[in-house]
Amino acid sequence: MRYLKTSEAAALLNVSPNTLRAWERRFGFPKPQRSPGKHRLFTHGEVAALRDALQEGLSISSAISRAREGLAADANSLVGALASYESERADTAIEAALALRSVERSVEEVLLPTLDEISRRYGVESAAWAFAAHWATDWLRRAIRLTPPPIRLVSIVIGDASRDELDRDAPYIRALELFCVRAGIKVLSLSARGVAGIGDAATVHRTNLVVVAGGHLDDDTVARWAYAIRLAVGAMPLAIYRRGAERPRVRPTGTTVLPSGAGDAQRTLLELLESDQVAAHPSAEYRSPPRFARGNR
Amino acid sequence: MRTARAGRPALRLVAPLESEAPAPLVLFCSHCGTRPVPSALPTGSRVCGSCGLGLILESRADVAPDVGGAFLVLDRSLAVCAVSRAAEELLDTSEPDAVNRHVTDLLMPAGAEETGGESLSASVVWAARGDGGIRTAVVRPANTFGIRLTARIASCGPSPAALLVLD
Repeated sequence: MRYLKTSEAAALLNVSPNTLRAWERRFGFPKPQRSPGKHRLFTHGEVAALRDALQEGLSISSAISRAREGLAADANSLVGALASYESERADTAIEAALALRSVERSVEEVLLPTLDEISRRYGVESAAWAFAAHWATDWLRRAIRLTPPPIRLVSIVIGDASRDELDRDAPYIRALELFCVRAGIKVLSLSARGVAGIGDAATVHRTNLVVVAGGHLDDDTVARWAYAIRLAVGAMPLAIYRRGAERPRVRPTGTTVLPSGAGDAQRTLLELLESDQVAAHPSAEYRSPPRFARGNR
Repeated sequence: MRTARAGRPALRLVAPLESEAPAPLVLFCSHCGTRPVPSALPTGSRVCGSCGLGLILESRADVAPDVGGAFLVLDRSLAVCAVSRAAEELLDTSEPDAVNRHVTDLLMPAGAEETGGESLSASVVWAARGDGGIRTAVVRPANTFGIRLTARIASCGPSPAALLVLD
């Protein structure tokens, strides 16, 4: 993936950096990421697509619309590949998406929308969904394994409350795990069914925050799992991800409900982890009275 | 009484028609309507140096919008391709929202003698094909009654499109 600084992207488009920033404000495209120093980083693929569209465009808006359509073609080709059970073609489609975007945006703009489309078209009981979910889970796990070791001194435990990899929430949970790992967070992802020994795991992992993700397991099962962690390492911040907003028994008092998008959820988690409360209370020392069990029953 | 001879068609030499000089072409910004000097444009760039939010288009001088004028650019499928800043205010829309929408989402024919949208549609398609000449239509904003605007419709480029200037 090749990134361009604002000046480089502006030079490629033959406009001033101020114009490029004005386009970002008005049209939301090209959409830059931020470097650790908060500088804009544009993906070369997006800028190149826009440059080509501008050649024949009738307005900036229509050129941006055309460039976006070209980029959306990746999602369409991935849908086609997965719906026809062709894993090699699916690999090629996601590689094409990665040539134009970061891993995070490829997942958010291509992979997850593709899975949503397949589940909408064929249903989660279909073979097409089984194939797509398996391929996506495999791809996301590979991406997690290929990520460099964590650089932050924070770690989270994700309690996976989804049914299995065929659960519609499962790819989103893997995506959140991938985004957190890529942000330098140490992540331990375990099924929330496994209560025995979870306290030891959380202690060894020096957990700063617990995330309960997925809506398949009932609240009692999830609460037992969370309580086991609290007994071992004390109370700590709890976040809920894709537990289902319509769930009548969930009372997320004292917890943080993460946005349903994996990228937004990761950013919220990062803010939580960077807050003074979490940073000042690593799990080994943090033994204040229990907090999240009350809100999660 | 008409004779057979007088009724016969006959070829006659006529004076050649006076050839009409083609209207000069001018450049203008698809957003603010600014008319840049061609020599002042940076090489290879069509982005307006004045507002930075429009591309430089070309049309006949007698139909090109004035600076700050209200106009739209449409393609042959009657989809909106550009909306000027003044047209955004006039039609209460924004260009990013309006692009790719059908022209009748923004403008409706309002001529009393016009029974439907054929005249407006035909004029836009005709201009978007790249034919020369100017047509006019009476239109109103799609969500407003009681306002009548005269629209001049002509071709613009570089890729053929219809320029609809609201007077």
